Amino acid sequence: MDQPSVSSRARAAAPGITPRDTLAPVTARASGAPRRAVDGLAALLLQGDGRWARAFENLILALIVVSVASVGLESIPALPAWAVQALRLMEIIVVAVFSFEYLLRLAAAPDKLRFIVSFQGVVDLLSFAPFYVGGLDTRWVRMLRLLRLLRVLKLRTHLLEATVGRRTRELAEKNDALERAQAQIRSELEVARALQVAILPATFPSRAGYEGAARMIPATTMGGDFYDFIELPGGQIGLVMADVSGKGVPAAFFMAVARTNLRELAAHHTTPGACLAHTNEVLCTQNPLDLFVTVFYCILDPASGVLRYANGGHNPPLLRRADGAVEALSGAGGLVLGAMPGVGFPDHAVQLRSGDRLVLFTDGITEAFNAADEAYGIERLVEEVRVHGGGAAAALVEHICHGVTVFAAAAPQSDDITLIVLSFDRLEPAALQ
Amino acid sequence: MNVGTETLAGHTVVIPAGRVDFNSASEFQAQLERAVGGARAPAAVIVDCAALEYVSSAGLRAFLLAARAAQRAGIAFVLCALQPAVREVFDLSGFSRIISVYPDRAAALTHVAQGPP
Repeated sequence: MDQPSVSSRARAAAPGITPRDTLAPVTARASGAPRRAVDGLAALLLQGDGRWARAFENLILALIVVSVASVGLESIPALPAWAVQALRLMEIIVVAVFSFEYLLRLAAAPDKLRFIVSFQGVVDLLSFAPFYVGGLDTRWVRMLRLLRLLRVLKLRTHLLEATVGRRTRELAEKNDALERAQAQIRSELEVARALQVAILPATFPSRAGYEGAARMIPATTMGGDFYDFIELPGGQIGLVMADVSGKGVPAAFFMAVARTNLRELAAHHTTPGACLAHTNEVLCTQNPLDLFVTVFYCILDPASGVLRYANGGHNPPLLRRADGAVEALSGAGGLVLGAMPGVGFPDHAVQLRSGDRLVLFTDGITEAFNAADEAYGIERLVEEVRVHGGGAAAALVEHICHGVTVFAAAAPQSDDITLIVLSFDRLEPAALQ
Repeated sequence: MNVGTETLAGHTVVIPAGRVDFNSASEFQAQLERAVGGARAPAAVIVDCAALEYVSSAGLRAFLLAARAAQRAGIAFVLCALQPAVREVFDLSGFSRIISVYPDRAAALTHVAQGPP
């Protein structure tokens, strides 16, 4: 938009000079009333995006087209007299409207001289002034009115740009708000993830000949994996590996509920099956979101090396014997916890021997996908355990986690990765002294 | 994941294809619930899993909720034609102990025609 229009619009936006309230009642009031009436009219008709301004602009546009077309009509030699009269009348109307518009723009311009000598000012003036000098026969000058179209087109482009600019700003503001909200959620999830890891036990209870190491790598979206080491009466140790269905905050809450209940009930039950059954009953009553949790729970008697366990729908742990043979613990297929009350969980037992490694894991490992959408799979895990399982528990944990991370590479980690390795190496009599 | 629906001898057959994981589980759950909600006993809902490639724990939850809804409504809810990997997930989680699983549609149809055992 050119200079005068911008300033008249700016004034219209100033307090007290809105188009609607200036026009009618103000004239009778103040000494500057005519001035303000002109300003109000200018704001109403020349300001870019009002209904009246749009109508006035269309009127000007139509008159330009009609008057330019009439130049062509007038050049027809045998034009009837009534047509000639009509064209003259039309020309008078056009000149009147253009004159009015020019005066209005001039009155509204803060710098009159600048408006008069501006390109648009000169074009506007030329579109009607020759009429007053040379009468109606000013065809070549009237062709100049085409230049006036430039103003209208320019105005339209400007309006469009202003609208696009406003929308872009609004969008940017909304994006900012959204990003701030997301950043807050992200940071809260970060805290929750940190808490999820922090509440898990850092060290395995110390027992001669036994070593335990664990690692949990929470997924970006926060899963519901957990593990636990529980000191039980008689020096026994409870080991838990569990995975809550679903992800995010609901899964994390259910994980906390499941872990707390299991830990508390473990002290009251001498067999893992009874402990899982009791925990299941409790979880079924504290489960508004219908989540469930797979739990492998075992009780290690360090003195005898007997490991008693029950499996509530969890991936069977791997047992690596000293000779490198790897087997999955039998007795899988118990129901997940929290799904249905009144379910029993059969007890199983296995005798640990010196050199054995027990590997407890969640499906975050076997179902870690790479960029080619290929799963890490149980076969790779079994092979890692077979080949690299002979050493310390912590070393095997690190080795497996590293292998899974390398396998998944840049693919996003969609599930928690959780792992416990328990090693049993009977100490030589010499080492005992 | 895609889910198709067919009618077979008056029963509703739901046919999921692809992967039911965390991202598609709620959509799948809605489809199963529509099938169960639209069925009237003695009609049954049969889920034909021949084209189902993967089920995550969130997917299992969708099956569990649909099975519960069917039980409340007195409608038989059975699965058939599970691929080995999916079958393993159902077996490991104990779900095949609470939801009836059949080798194929014909076996499932025979079962639901006989009514609950």
